[in-house]
Amino acid sequence: MESVVITITSGKGGVGKTTCAANIGSALAMLGKKVVLIDGDIGLRNLDIVMGLENRIVYDAVDFIEGRCRLKQALIRDKRAAELYLLPTAQTRDKSAINAGQMTRLCDELRSDFDYIIIDSPAGIEQGFHTCLAPANRCLVVTNPEVSSVRDADRVIGLIEAAEKGPAQLIINRIVAARVKRQEMLSTDDITEVLSTEIIGIVPEDENILMSSNRGQPIVMNGKSPAALAFQDIARRITGENIPLQPLRSSGSILQRLFGHA
Amino acid sequence: MVTIKGLREGLLINFGEELWLSQLRELESKLQSNPRFFRGGQVTLNVHRLSLSPDDLRRAQALLNRHGVTLQAVLAQDIHTVTHLIELGLPTRRGETEPLRDKTGRATPAKDGPASPDNTARLPEQSHIRSTSNRGAGGGADVGIGDVGATQDASRAIGQVEGSDGLLVRRRLRSGQILRHPGHIVVLGDVNPGSQLIAGGDIVVWGKLHGSVHAGALGDTGATICALEFAPSLIRIADATRASRPGEKRTRPPRPEMALIEDHEIMIVGWQAK
Repeated sequence: MESVVITITSGKGGVGKTTCAANIGSALAMLGKKVVLIDGDIGLRNLDIVMGLENRIVYDAVDFIEGRCRLKQALIRDKRAAELYLLPTAQTRDKSAINAGQMTRLCDELRSDFDYIIIDSPAGIEQGFHTCLAPANRCLVVTNPEVSSVRDADRVIGLIEAAEKGPAQLIINRIVAARVKRQEMLSTDDITEVLSTEIIGIVPEDENILMSSNRGQPIVMNGKSPAALAFQDIARRITGENIPLQPLRSSGSILQRLFGHA
Repeated sequence: MVTIKGLREGLLINFGEELWLSQLRELESKLQSNPRFFRGGQVTLNVHRLSLSPDDLRRAQALLNRHGVTLQAVLAQDIHTVTHLIELGLPTRRGETEPLRDKTGRATPAKDGPASPDNTARLPEQSHIRSTSNRGAGGGADVGIGDVGATQDASRAIGQVEGSDGLLVRRRLRSGQILRHPGHIVVLGDVNPGSQLIAGGDIVVWGKLHGSVHAGALGDTGATICALEFAPSLIRIADATRASRPGEKRTRPPRPEMALIEDHEIMIVGWQAK
């Protein structure tokens, strides 16, 4: 199949880009796809931690760009899936270390070996974002169901359209059905009304995410928690499967419902 | 005489045959009298056949810089002017007299222009229109709007209504996007919060208006703003400003409303079919 470069971005920080990248990449690999995850957040790298591969970094993408290693040396193989690799980035440099042309050539070099090249973009709309946008065939924009991250998603979707990388697809992350019902949180309809962008997945708030990130085990790798199921659905939609969006259920046990959410 | 037109990628400033320095003074007074309209904008200068020295060109660039306006390109026909432009590193094209309009009167994109910065990202699906208002969109200002000339005199003779130029945008405006036009602006689609419309004339939004709007930005106090769902974050008409209606709840279901100046204040009235 033709290799696809997917850039995951959001504008606003802290909405779950890295979690989405790690889990969607892992889920695609578990479907038997050849996947490489690229950390685009030079100087603030996190994807290696969330993937639990921090200790295996010898070379990184900047080393490759600057000629200190071959590309294969910088790739870290994740043994938990058949064909899953991480290309970490440098922690001691900043966004100027890789430009858009270099990122595009880097991805072109990876295309022959991988089905999906997933780039975890930095927050913001500056150079680092544009570098990660340049090679993209497809853009996933992550937003939370609250006004400020939707506003930033709107800005980023406009920039993606202007760069002729659209149409972007939307991931609504950390939604809580009960709070939507109480109108404390934006609903998917509220978000669609502003963004009019196709939704590729709705990920419920899930307390297991925190632990899985800290332990370096993407949640899709072990478990059937609500968020894991949502990420698996997103991965299958990316491969072209037609999986309808699940209606939101007020999740949790009766006890949780009695005592309410945080 | 210096005239200003709106184009897809920004504003086009046309120069006449007069002395360069006096034309620059004329441009400066236009920039000074409408700073809100111009600041942050992008302009293309069309100097036609004028033969200009490097100093002449530097003065123009400095003038625009002082007013927060980005020089996008200079259209010139004189070979010496073109040479100086290239030496100064200014983007240029050897322009025809009306290089940016095709026969239908639609603006054609400047394909070899420099890439726009993100906040004025090129918006596709725009076209120039002409409204049928008797009021010139520029109001009191003598900014030339469109090529209302001989054809209009002829059409008036056969009973057609006089019009002025506008820009039609058939899409949603997203946060951070700015649309600026010396004539009227019509948007077929929603105007999202965080976006901005700035028009010399009227603004019509066939959709939800949630961004910030400035009509009559060249001084026309008769300009109006209409929307199917009227909830802008900030309303300006000419020099008057009004914040979004504090305390007022959005009407449900939303009804079309219009903002206009009455007794030096911006009023918002429901639109009634008469």
